[in-house]
Amino acid sequence: MINTRFLVPLVGFLALVFFLYQGLFSDPRERDSQVLAKPMPEFSLPDLMDPSVIYTQDVFNGEVTLLNIWGVWCVTCAIELPYLTELSEQGVRFVGLYYDQDLDPDFGTKTLARVQQEVVATTNQLGNPFVFNIFDVYRDTSLDLGVTGAPETLLIDQQGIIRVHHIGDINPRVWSKKFAPIYDELTKPSSGEMQ
Amino acid sequence: MILTRFASSTLLAVLVLCIGLASISQPVLATEENYAFATEQQRKDFKRLTQELRCPMCQNQNIADSDAMIAHDMRRKVYQLVTDGQGQDEVIDFMKQRYGDFVHYQPPVNSNTVWLWVLPFSVLLFGVLILIKKRPQAFSDNPQEQADLIAQADALLEKDK
Repeated sequence: MINTRFLVPLVGFLALVFFLYQGLFSDPRERDSQVLAKPMPEFSLPDLMDPSVIYTQDVFNGEVTLLNIWGVWCVTCAIELPYLTELSEQGVRFVGLYYDQDLDPDFGTKTLARVQQEVVATTNQLGNPFVFNIFDVYRDTSLDLGVTGAPETLLIDQQGIIRVHHIGDINPRVWSKKFAPIYDELTKPSSGEMQ
Repeated sequence: MILTRFASSTLLAVLVLCIGLASISQPVLATEENYAFATEQQRKDFKRLTQELRCPMCQNQNIADSDAMIAHDMRRKVYQLVTDGQGQDEVIDFMKQRYGDFVHYQPPVNSNTVWLWVLPFSVLLFGVLILIKKRPQAFSDNPQEQADLIAQADALLEKDK
C-alpha cells in the first residue's frame, strides 16, 4: 500500500496541475452578459438620419430583431457589414444602435451632418443591412445594455426580450453556432408565440 | 577638473529636466477631465468609486486609470449618479447590474468565490496540524526509559571508537 505521506501531496499536486491546465484554455475576456432573458431597457432616442423621429423600446415588439451596435470608426464593424447585409437580404431584420466615438457628448466636436455623411458613405460602400439606425447620442443605452465596445449584437425576440448577446463580429461560423438555432426557433411559423 | 565640471553640469541639467517633466505631467493628468462637485463628500465618493470599479473592456485597470471609451462613459455615469445624490453602494449596484460582478474589484462571497477565503485558511490550518503532529518527542520522564536511552547512546559511541 502506498504511504499516505506521499499520496496526500501527490493528490494535491495533481489537483493543482489540473486547475492550472484548465486555465490555459480559459478566455479572460469571456463574461456573462447581464441583460440575457431581460427586456430591452427603456430608451427614447432619435433616428440617426432624421433626429425628429424618436424611437423607444417598442420598436422591438412583434418582430425578431438583431440589434447591431456599431460605428463607422470601428474596423471590425466594417468587416461584418457585408455579411450582415447578406443576412438582411435573406429576411433578417437588423436595427443599428449607432454611436460615435469622436462625438464627445460633453464637448461635441463633430456635427450630426458629418456623422450622417460618414455613415452613408460606409453603407454605400459595404452594404446597408439596417432597417433604421438608432442614434445613441450619450451612449447611455449602450451602457444600460452592458456594451463594452463595438461591434456587439443582440438578438431580441418578439416580446422585446434579449435572447443573445454577442461581443465581436458576426461571421458565418458565429451565426450558425450562436444565432441561427435561436433565430430559427423564434421565427418558426408554428411556434411563433404572438402570431 | 574639466571632466568633473562637465559631469556636474550634466547632472544639473538632468535634474532640471526631471523637475520640469514632473511639473508638466502633473497638471496634464489633473485637467484631463474637469468634473465639478457640489460637496467635498461627492468628490471623495467619485474618486473612490472610479478607483474601485474595473473597466470591463480592459483586463486589469480601474476606470479612473483607463482611457478606453467605455471607461470615459462609466466615469461620466458615476459622476451623474454621485451628483444625483446616490450612495457608493447604489452606484456599484448600478454598474454590477450592467456589467456583472467583474466590474467591482471586490468579489462577492458566493458559492463560486467562497474558496478564495476558505482555501488559504484551510492550508494554514493544515500546516499548524502538521506542526503539532511532528513536534519533537519530549524526553521521557520515566527513569527506566531514560536509562535505556543512555545505554543505547553509550553503545553507539562505543562502536564508533
